Amino acid sequence: MRKLAEWQLALPLALAFASIFLAPLLMLVGVSFFNDDKISQPGFGQWAKFLGDPFSYKVIADTMLLGLKTVCATIVIGYPLALIYLDASPRLQKVLIFIIVMPLLLSVVVRTFAWIVVLGREGVVNTILLQLGIISEPLRLLQTELGLVISLTQIEMPLMLLPLISVMSRLDPNLRDASSALGASRWRTLFKVIVPLSMPGLVAGCLLVFASSTTAFISQTVIGGVRLIYLPLLIWQQSLVVFNWPFAAVVSLTLLVSVLTVVSALSYLGRRTGGYVHG
Amino acid sequence: MFSRRHFLAGTTALGGASLLPSIAHAKGSVAAAIYPGTWEEAFRAIVAPALKKKDSVDLELQPLFAVDQVAKAKAARGAPPFDAFVLDPGPRITAIQDGLFDKIDIKKISNASKLPAGLVDEWGIGVNAQVVGIAYNPKKVPAPKGWKDLFTDPWVSRLGITGFQTTFGTVSLIEIAKVFGGSETNIEPALVELKKVLPKIAAVGQPAAMPGLFQQGQCDVIYTNTQTVATLKGRGVDIEFVKPETGAITFLTTLHIAKGAAEVENAYKYLDIVAGKEVQEALTKPPYNFIPVNKDVPLPDYLPMKNLDEMSNFVRHDWAKINPLRAGWIEKFNKEMAK
Repeated sequence: MRKLAEWQLALPLALAFASIFLAPLLMLVGVSFFNDDKISQPGFGQWAKFLGDPFSYKVIADTMLLGLKTVCATIVIGYPLALIYLDASPRLQKVLIFIIVMPLLLSVVVRTFAWIVVLGREGVVNTILLQLGIISEPLRLLQTELGLVISLTQIEMPLMLLPLISVMSRLDPNLRDASSALGASRWRTLFKVIVPLSMPGLVAGCLLVFASSTTAFISQTVIGGVRLIYLPLLIWQQSLVVFNWPFAAVVSLTLLVSVLTVVSALSYLGRRTGGYVHG
Repeated sequence: MFSRRHFLAGTTALGGASLLPSIAHAKGSVAAAIYPGTWEEAFRAIVAPALKKKDSVDLELQPLFAVDQVAKAKAARGAPPFDAFVLDPGPRITAIQDGLFDKIDIKKISNASKLPAGLVDEWGIGVNAQVVGIAYNPKKVPAPKGWKDLFTDPWVSRLGITGFQTTFGTVSLIEIAKVFGGSETNIEPALVELKKVLPKIAAVGQPAAMPGLFQQGQCDVIYTNTQTVATLKGRGVDIEFVKPETGAITFLTTLHIAKGAAEVENAYKYLDIVAGKEVQEALTKPPYNFIPVNKDVPLPDYLPMKNLDEMSNFVRHDWAKINPLRAGWIEKFNKEMAK
C-alpha cells in the first residue's frame, strides 16, 4: 500500500514529462517523415535530402567542433579557477562564487551584445591593442570562430565551474596533505590525486558546456554571423523563414542525436574514470 | 462555450495583468496580429488608444512575424486565432493563394479614399510603405551612388550584408543581381559577385543584428530601410540613407481581414483607424518613424521622396514569382557564403 502511494506521488511529474516533452518529441519524429512542407505526403524525402548533401555533414562537424573547442577552453580557464577557489579563504570563496554566478543572472542576449562591444572593430580589445601599438589594423574578431569560442567560453563558464567546484570542495584535504607528505610534488599531487577525484565534476561540466554551446543559437548567429553555419541556424531558417517544417524536424533530430552521442560518450568516460578512482 | 478566442484572450490577459480590466469591460474587441518589436510598441501606444476612444473597441495585439501569422491561420483551418493580419508582400501572396483572407468591402473603410490608388484592393489595404536602399556612415566612407559601388573600395571592405531571410534583404539582393545582369528570378550574378569579394566584406549577419553591428562600427555600409536609418539616427548614430541610382525599392505593408474572423465589423474599424490621418501622423514621428500612406499626412523630410506619387517610380517586385524560388535561394546563400 505504502509502495503504491510513493509510485502515485511521481505520477504528476511523469504525466507532465510525457505530455510536454515526450509527446512533442514524437511529433517531431513524425513530422520529419513527410516529403512536403504542407505535411501531407509521408516519405523519407527530407531525410534523403539532408543526408545526401555533403554540406549537411560539414555543418554537423562544425557544430560538434564548436562544442568541443568551447569545452576545452572552459576547462583550460575554469580548472585553475576552481583550484584557486579551493585554496581561497571562505570570504574570498563567497566573492568568487558571486563572480562565477553573475553571468547567469544576465540575459544571454545582453551578454551576447556585450561581446559585440568587446570584440568589434572599434571594440575594447581592438582599441587597447591599437593604442598600445601592438597592431596597426583592427583585428577581425567578430564573425570569426575564434571570437565565437572566446565569447561562448565566458557565457558557458558557470556551467563548467559550478559542478566542478561542488565536487572539488567535497575532496578530503587530508588526501592532498598525505600526497605531499609521501613526497609527491605539487604537480604530481594535482594530476594523481586532485584531477582524478574531481573527474565527476569535470565530466558534468563538460556535458553541460557542450550541450549548451552547440545549441546557443543567439550567440552563434549574432557573434558568429551567418557565414559560420551551425545546426541551430539551419533549424531556424527552415522552420521560421522557409517554413519547411519536415526539413526543420530532420535537422532538429540530427542536432539532438549528435549532441546525445557526444554527451553519452562523455558520461561513459566519466563513469569509467569514476570507477578507476573509487574501485 | 470555451472557444479558442476566449482561451487566447485569457492567455493574453494572463500575460499582462493590466489588460484584464479592459477586456472584462469591453463593448467589443478585435484581435490583430502584429509584428513584434517596433510595430507592436507603436500599435500598443497609438492605435489601441485611438480605437478605444473612437469606437470603444479593445485592440488585442498578438505579436507574430508574417510567416507565423500565415502558418497559424493555416493550421487553424477556418477558425483563425486573430481577426486581422499585417503582412509584407511575400507572405501576402501566400495567404491569398491559401484562401486565408476575406474580401473586403471598401465602403466600410472611410479612410480608404485618402490612400493612393494601388494601396487598396479586394484583399486589403496598404497602411505603411517601406523604402529600401543603401545606408552608410558619412564619417567613414563617401556616399555610394548605387549597388555596384558596394563591390568596390572603399565601400566593399566596410560592407555588411544579410541574406534572403527578410523582405528587405531579398529585394536588395535582387537589385544587386540586376545590376550585374540578373533579374527578379535570377539572383545568381549577385552571389557570384559577392563570392568574389567575400574575404573583404566586413560582416555577413542576421538581419536583426545589422543595426547593432553598424552602431558598433563593425560595418559602415548596409542595405536597409528608411525606418532603421531614422531610428539609428535618433540614437545619435552617424548614418545617412542613399537612394541607389537604379532607384529605391519600395514595398507595402498591408492589413487584411482573416477568413472566418469572429469580429469582422470591429476588424473594419481597426483597418479604418490605422489608415486614418491621426494615427498615420503619430506613427510617422520618432521613435516609430513609419512612412505614412494617408495623402493628408506630410512626409518626413529625411525620405528620398517629397510625396507619395513619386513612389510610383520606385522599384517594386513580383512576389508571386519570388516566393517559390526563395527557399532555394536561402539554401544557396548558406552554401556560397559558408566559411
